[in-house]
Amino acid sequence: MTANPFQDPARFERRVPPCALVIFGANGDLTRRKLIPALYRLAYDHRLPPGFAVIGNSRTPMSHEVYREKMRDAVKEFSEETPFEEAIWNDFASGLYYESGDLSDPSCYQGIHARLAEIERVRQTGGNALFYLSTQPSHYATAIRGLGDSGLSRAADGAWRRVVVEKPFGHDTASARALEQSIHSVFAEDDVYRIDHYLGKETVQNILAFRFGNGIFEPLWNRNYIDHVQITAAESIGVEGRGAYYQEAGALRDMIQNHLLQVMATVAMEPPGEFEANAVRDERAKLLRAIRTPAPDEVLVNAVAGQYGPSRVGGERLAGFREEPGVDPHARTDTYAAVTFFVDNWRWAGVPFYVRSGKRLAKRVTDIAIQFRSAPHSVFTLAGHDGAQWAGPNLLVLRIQPEEGISLRFLSKLPGSGMRLRPVSMDFKYGSSFGVRSPAAYETLLLDALVGDATLYTRRDMVEASWTAVQPILDVWADATFDFPNYEAGSWGPKASDDMLARRGHAWRTP
Amino acid sequence: MAAAVSPSRILKDLDQLWVDLGRNQQADAPAAVLRACAMTLLVLTDDSSEDPGETLALLMRDHPSRLILIRIAGGDSARLGARVLAQCWMPFGRRQQICCEQIEITASRASLADVPSVIRGLTVPDLPVAVWVRAGRFCGLADAVALLPMADKMVIDSAGVADLAAQAAFIYGALREGHSVADLAWTRLTRWREAVAQLFDDPANLERLAAIVKIRIAWEGERLPMSAAYVAAWLRKSLGPLPRFDFQPLGGAGRSRLHTIALVGEDFEYSIAVGQDRSVELQSGVRASHSVFPRLTEYELLREELSVMGPDPVYQAVMSLLSEFIPKS
Repeated sequence: MTANPFQDPARFERRVPPCALVIFGANGDLTRRKLIPALYRLAYDHRLPPGFAVIGNSRTPMSHEVYREKMRDAVKEFSEETPFEEAIWNDFASGLYYESGDLSDPSCYQGIHARLAEIERVRQTGGNALFYLSTQPSHYATAIRGLGDSGLSRAADGAWRRVVVEKPFGHDTASARALEQSIHSVFAEDDVYRIDHYLGKETVQNILAFRFGNGIFEPLWNRNYIDHVQITAAESIGVEGRGAYYQEAGALRDMIQNHLLQVMATVAMEPPGEFEANAVRDERAKLLRAIRTPAPDEVLVNAVAGQYGPSRVGGERLAGFREEPGVDPHARTDTYAAVTFFVDNWRWAGVPFYVRSGKRLAKRVTDIAIQFRSAPHSVFTLAGHDGAQWAGPNLLVLRIQPEEGISLRFLSKLPGSGMRLRPVSMDFKYGSSFGVRSPAAYETLLLDALVGDATLYTRRDMVEASWTAVQPILDVWADATFDFPNYEAGSWGPKASDDMLARRGHAWRTP
Repeated sequence: MAAAVSPSRILKDLDQLWVDLGRNQQADAPAAVLRACAMTLLVLTDDSSEDPGETLALLMRDHPSRLILIRIAGGDSARLGARVLAQCWMPFGRRQQICCEQIEITASRASLADVPSVIRGLTVPDLPVAVWVRAGRFCGLADAVALLPMADKMVIDSAGVADLAAQAAFIYGALREGHSVADLAWTRLTRWREAVAQLFDDPANLERLAAIVKIRIAWEGERLPMSAAYVAAWLRKSLGPLPRFDFQPLGGAGRSRLHTIALVGEDFEYSIAVGQDRSVELQSGVRASHSVFPRLTEYELLREELSVMGPDPVYQAVMSLLSEFIPKS
């Protein structure tokens, strides 16, 4: 086919080709809060093709008009930093349809089939369709089977059919494999987009730019110069109405198995040969496969589970996890998890990667701290040099939220006659260096899936490798007895977590 | 005789400025200010047009720079002066101000020749230098020539320019000598060009490319605007020599501006037309869709242009074809 001769990659943003998007779970929170506002933003930025269409599906019967009104309200409520333009909304909404139906009922897919055919005729979507599973994970297999049985998964010549799957991709290795089998019985791997919204965050993407666009850090990025790495994803809030879901998941499954291992892979992977989806994902997958699988006795010293109990913060009483609505008063759920991972390859042999995540911690922060080795001999540790206690290692911090940026800590001499040392921080902040709005993770990821760029999506082997890394921990924890709660809401987690680092002479930073 | 302005003196004043900003730190602030700088931005302007202060203040948030504002005044006596100040703002929800340095140089026309020698010592090392020539009554392209050698990119604006041939000759000459020049009249076309490209994302439309026989370009006003000539050259570059061009002045008072682009075949037409309220109708066969091309401010145009600091191959290709569409002066 002839290439579009009007392209100008230096100036034009990427645009979506003619296509339709089918959202299963279209009446749910994710659709209202994230997906439709992200699509509206893409429309606002002229990234969507003129005939673009969305078919929403859920069980609730509803007319197209009622659905459009609901989505209009959602865009007004949840579109941050995007003005509501009537003309743009009306254009977008003219391609917004609703088809109610139960995913276990074949007629549901027949209805979608008929609607897609009509849309293809009227709006010239070229037979291209992306199916977005925004339903309960327990419905994934049913939906995939329905798409296969109805023929919706099969594209005509020259067209494409893709599916986006939201995490969790299973709740352990066995269920993840079962889900993958179900997906692959219908879709080819190239057409499967497993979304991990952390990878859509600008700062996570910037780790790639930072590592592979700059020459100065890469020679230091190995066991010879890096002492250890700390990855923290802390939330100050509790389960916020998700108690029933969360008590089945826990911090290890909800955060570490997917988001944080993907972040760790991005930090530690080898440079890809080119910035292309499979080249990048190959390297991420290799890194995930190189994570050492701990033996049961190693789990006991390299993984810590925690659960928050009640406390008072700033005069306000914070409920303990077991007091949260929808939570079993005897729940054994880990609301905090900390794991020491090792990567068995030449670059990282012997370097601990400390990964922690928890709810109701002291503040909301996600960052990655690379702690370099200390200088082999410090001339400033002699008595009489004020600040000698600071003569610690250099620290490079990649902040993901709330204030995205990069800091490098190093020592500096205080002005004056004596040799007094103080650590200073060289800061780069996205907010000040680039004033332009950063796209929300879902805008980036939806656009990528519609364009067919899977770089930021998780591949089957990556999912399996990350489950393999945490499964031994889940197995040990399943049989363990925990003295929960073991940390106060508003603290930095259980003492056992500090002990885990102290055994190697390390300590958690306070982010 | 003009008062001397020393680059060293200005740099010392800048150092003192940062010391003063640091002293004003509030007791509970983590640090007084954060200095941000990603380039040197030289702005050549005069007092005859609207003050660019607001534009530049906004621009600093997107492209933090050492801003060197050169204001040219009329008059025959030689006058040259300089002062330093900081452009600071407090990002929403933060407790630390972000500041950019600003050096303001005032010169009469008689002293203009002394300005480049002052500026040479004031650019930030190792970072790009962009020059925005905001031509007015007392300064123009001829004055910008001396700044070209130090510019990684020079931005001019051909909107409203009467002598398109002379303007194009300047740009073409500069490009040929290896300088990077951008024209805000071209930047204003990004939305238009993107809309055209989007029409042909549809494979069905793409198949009709070879069947386009005529291109209709209409503009408001009497005189051909540079934007219409740019669009014509861009379409020529993209579609080759076959389609013929039909230029349509729609008349009316005020500055000339692009109104319609239509790509016409024997039995089809694709068009993009902008209305009075900047609403845009995109017609593709029988289907119409709507968009808005807001009137872009100088700030928005510069924000885009300063984001493209490397070579701009599409613009360079367009410049090589532009002469076909420009009336001889």
